[in-house]
Amino acid sequence: MKLTVNGETHDVDVEDDMPLLWVLRDELGITGPKYGCGIAQCGACTVHVDGVAVRSCQLAAGDVIGDVTTIEGLGTPSALHAVQEAWIDLQVAQCGYCQAGQIMQAASFLDMNSEPTDAQIDAAMSGNLCRCGSYPRIRDAVKLAAIKLRRV
Amino acid sequence: MRTFAVALLLATPVAAQDAPTKAQGLAAWDDIYAVTSHPRCTNCHVGADGIPMWDGLTYGADAVHGMHVLAGESRVGAETMPCRTCHIGAQSGNATPHAPPMIDDAWRLPPAELAWLGKSSDALCAQLRDPETNDGFAMDGLATHLETSAFVAWGFDPGAGRSVPPGTLDEMVVALNLWAAAGTPCASDP
Amino acid sequence: MGRVKTIARRSFLIGSAAIAGGVAFGTYLYKREGENPLLADLKPGETAITPYVRIDAQGITLITPRADVGQGAWSMQAHLITEELDIDPATATVSPGPASAIYYNGVVGAEAMPIAATSDTLLARTGRGAADVMGKLMGLHITGGSSTVPDMYDRLRMAGAVARETLIRAAMKQTGLPRDQLSTENGHVVLPDGSKIDYLDLAVAAADIDPVQDVALRDPSQWRYLTKPQKRTDMVAKSTGTLTYGIDMVMDGMVYATTRTNPAMGGGIIGFDAAAAQAMRGVRSVLPITGGIAVVADNTWRAFQAAQAVDCDWGPSPYIGNTADQFDAVAASMTDDHQDSRFKDEGDVTAALDGADVIEAEYRIPYLAHAPLEPMSVVVKMTRTRLDIWTGTQIPRFVQANMAKLTGLDADNIHVHVLMSGGSFGRRLEDDYVAQAVEIALQLRDTPIKMIWQREEDFTHDFSRPLAIARGRGAVKSGALDAFDLSIAAPSVAESSLARLGQPAIGPDVAIVAGAWDQPFAIPNYRVTGYRTPAMVPISSWRSVGASGNGFLHESFMDEMCHAAGVDPLEERLRLCWHAPSRKVLEAVGEMSDWGSDLGPNRGRGLAFTLAFGVPVAQVVEVTNTDRGIRIDKVFVAADVGRVLDPVNFEAQVQGGVIFGLGHAMNCEMTYVDGAAQQDNYHAYEGMRLYQTPEIMVRGLENGDKIRGIGEPGVPPAAPALANAIFAATGQRIRELPLSKSVDFV
Repeated sequence: MKLTVNGETHDVDVEDDMPLLWVLRDELGITGPKYGCGIAQCGACTVHVDGVAVRSCQLAAGDVIGDVTTIEGLGTPSALHAVQEAWIDLQVAQCGYCQAGQIMQAASFLDMNSEPTDAQIDAAMSGNLCRCGSYPRIRDAVKLAAIKLRRV
Repeated sequence: MRTFAVALLLATPVAAQDAPTKAQGLAAWDDIYAVTSHPRCTNCHVGADGIPMWDGLTYGADAVHGMHVLAGESRVGAETMPCRTCHIGAQSGNATPHAPPMIDDAWRLPPAELAWLGKSSDALCAQLRDPETNDGFAMDGLATHLETSAFVAWGFDPGAGRSVPPGTLDEMVVALNLWAAAGTPCASDP
Repeated sequence: MGRVKTIARRSFLIGSAAIAGGVAFGTYLYKREGENPLLADLKPGETAITPYVRIDAQGITLITPRADVGQGAWSMQAHLITEELDIDPATATVSPGPASAIYYNGVVGAEAMPIAATSDTLLARTGRGAADVMGKLMGLHITGGSSTVPDMYDRLRMAGAVARETLIRAAMKQTGLPRDQLSTENGHVVLPDGSKIDYLDLAVAAADIDPVQDVALRDPSQWRYLTKPQKRTDMVAKSTGTLTYGIDMVMDGMVYATTRTNPAMGGGIIGFDAAAAQAMRGVRSVLPITGGIAVVADNTWRAFQAAQAVDCDWGPSPYIGNTADQFDAVAASMTDDHQDSRFKDEGDVTAALDGADVIEAEYRIPYLAHAPLEPMSVVVKMTRTRLDIWTGTQIPRFVQANMAKLTGLDADNIHVHVLMSGGSFGRRLEDDYVAQAVEIALQLRDTPIKMIWQREEDFTHDFSRPLAIARGRGAVKSGALDAFDLSIAAPSVAESSLARLGQPAIGPDVAIVAGAWDQPFAIPNYRVTGYRTPAMVPISSWRSVGASGNGFLHESFMDEMCHAAGVDPLEERLRLCWHAPSRKVLEAVGEMSDWGSDLGPNRGRGLAFTLAFGVPVAQVVEVTNTDRGIRIDKVFVAADVGRVLDPVNFEAQVQGGVIFGLGHAMNCEMTYVDGAAQQDNYHAYEGMRLYQTPEIMVRGLENGDKIRGIGEPGVPPAAPALANAIFAATGQRIRELPLSKSVDFV
């Protein structure tokens, strides 16, 4: 099957029911999306499909309709996305393992809702687990990213 | 808790030309209510707050959906986290316990005016027979909806150890038709 | 109590011997570090001036041997070196270096000794000296016990200074200029005319010079990085998905594996049928390993699927299998013959309680899993003569030694490449998952193997923080605490985890009472007794170790006693506290939280204090009792680490510790049925999520006499402060964790 990831089209030979996460990680070598729980409880595997946040551990390869963007495709160290910039400005990450998922969730959320309320931020970001407890800074970084994005 | 007017009905079929009695219609409604008041339905048929429920599996009665999920006015989570972030609209299904169920349709909550959660039998009866509050369905349309909705089909076969409403989808359709044929009686009708 | 005395005498003897052998406090000679392990691997044109600085034509590598498990250890270690080396940490490569005895931890061993952090007696100093010597002799290359900063504060700045001075000496040789005409700036030696020589161009010359030994450390007034807000060296990579964790390591020709062992702890495997699994797509082999099976495939998911398809015949667990029975065993161990320690015994508790109106309470805390978000994973490659291991681990030398035993290879031929860890909380003080991968590699040589556990395997094979029961008995007199007698029974972490590392556990287990026996309060009659429950399911250290639960046990009873005495919990603690830095953190949270002011209806404040790892931490939690349950509104924290080296990461670690403590107190427990853990994924072990996260105000104080670490001390007071707040808001005293057994949370 064909998958377009970060603007590049790949031919992959996998079972229809292989989760996109493992196609990305083990077949395409794209390791930004992380395995945490396998049942959509943690959000570490979050990617975008046509711009909308999706748990890639739940999306079967055969069901992918649209372009996939991973954290690597959102922005790079030399060309950061505003959300990534906010994450760095506020020094959000601790172990960082959940942060690719947090950032992808936040980017999709802010794309759909550019002026979120505090309550909406809480609801949008509570599907992503952080075991280190970086939540206070995630909250602040989403707000900062919203401001940065509105300036763009 | 399986009140089977339907089973009774199938065993002793009412002659086609005879309209069912009000009593038969009310018995059919009881079967319908046993389904529509079941958590498999009311977990999503919630009110304007848009907070789905997680009554079932290990979460306990009255448990709200984890992760502080709010479906919002959009009823699909567009304001915060879309339902489809986890409930993929896909053929694949998902039989893993505690993983998000999926169907081949866009996961969403029914409109707030179709809330069933916490409603009494009589209130829900009045609500379901009125096109103003049943999403505009005439009774035959409602039966067709039951037979074709991916949500309803999933609700009777949710897999992964999730609880199921009493009876089968076919029995539900039969009960609905019977209730309709009896003139959609409700217990408080004069 | 003969046992306790013997141990105290033994540790004193170790200390005495150490002093006789020439351990001195105060002066620091750099050459005492020993042989530089970097020299063995140098290529032409590379130099390693100290074990912490390697330079070649491409750049400077800073060796940061303490593992980074999210606490920012790599970045902090890099900043300690560069503060003296005069380079921008962002321009250097940061590497944890090889497993080596030279990277021994000289501080963490003291945590296992019954020495109060507040004590500065000769015995205490001697014991700490002994810990340093033991760490060095044993080559304890280990990360834990919030020891990275206290252990590395001088060592790494010294390493940076030695490297700088050696580079300057190379420049002196090259230019003929005297030392006092040369300075350093941002990776260069600066000449009097303002021209500069790049450090990289001095590397070859520096390699021929014996490292300069007599250097002085800069005065803190000259610091550019330390004590200022820092930018963590890993932050950009962690925000762009470009950082390689253990689970991300990729090698040519690599195969993917997973393992399944008996969910009933220690039960072993009787037999298995792999026919169905063998036939699945991509499956290369199904192999036996100790206690279970491994599947090797061409993709992790295929390995996961196939592992589930193996039909395993599991044996029964040899341990007490059900949690109710486990608690019964703990309760039954609170007897004289199980007494493990009584490090605190002041006044005469027995006499004080005799005839008094005794206040009694019993508390329970559950087993807790570490459950770092990156599941256990490792890449191994084994040839006939060499084993390479890539993983996130806190114990590289134990990994080396244990895998040497497993493979028969010399430890020198086992190369442990430490990678960034996606969390640990103590889980990576174990090497069980590495051993499994090596067992696969022994059956599949010359092929790189990446082994990843499924989350369910990770949860059910975690070595939990132990459960415990405490009984408090106390008495008040004239509106003040008079007698405080706390008995704590729990299985021993030291006994369980050291056995797995091939080390003996000698003497009482301080962890059973840590965070309780060593609190700085002058209660007239004050006793803390530890009882050791015979070993049950395997257990291990969990963020803040003994104090993680003992904070709840001690501070819940303290709160009950204060209420019984009719005194304000803050005022009474301040009255009883004899340790100045501890008093200051209590005063600080009092001020921050406006303690004593009216919060309005259905609201309450709770206070707790724990001194752990030498860090006094006071927390005030504010809650509201809503119609949907308890909502945690705000937390105020004051902590004293002596000197806050990075206020940004300090705040993050304290907030993270509070959230870790609150989240587990709210809703986490591990329970067992027939020896098998019942919680196998995050739906059943949720912790805190963002919407529940309160505002957390943090203040760092600097009154302590020594510099301390902050990765763990924020955890212990969070649970009791929350429980005490719930009592204040509702009148409901909860004596068992998790609190969700008793109340709902919004």
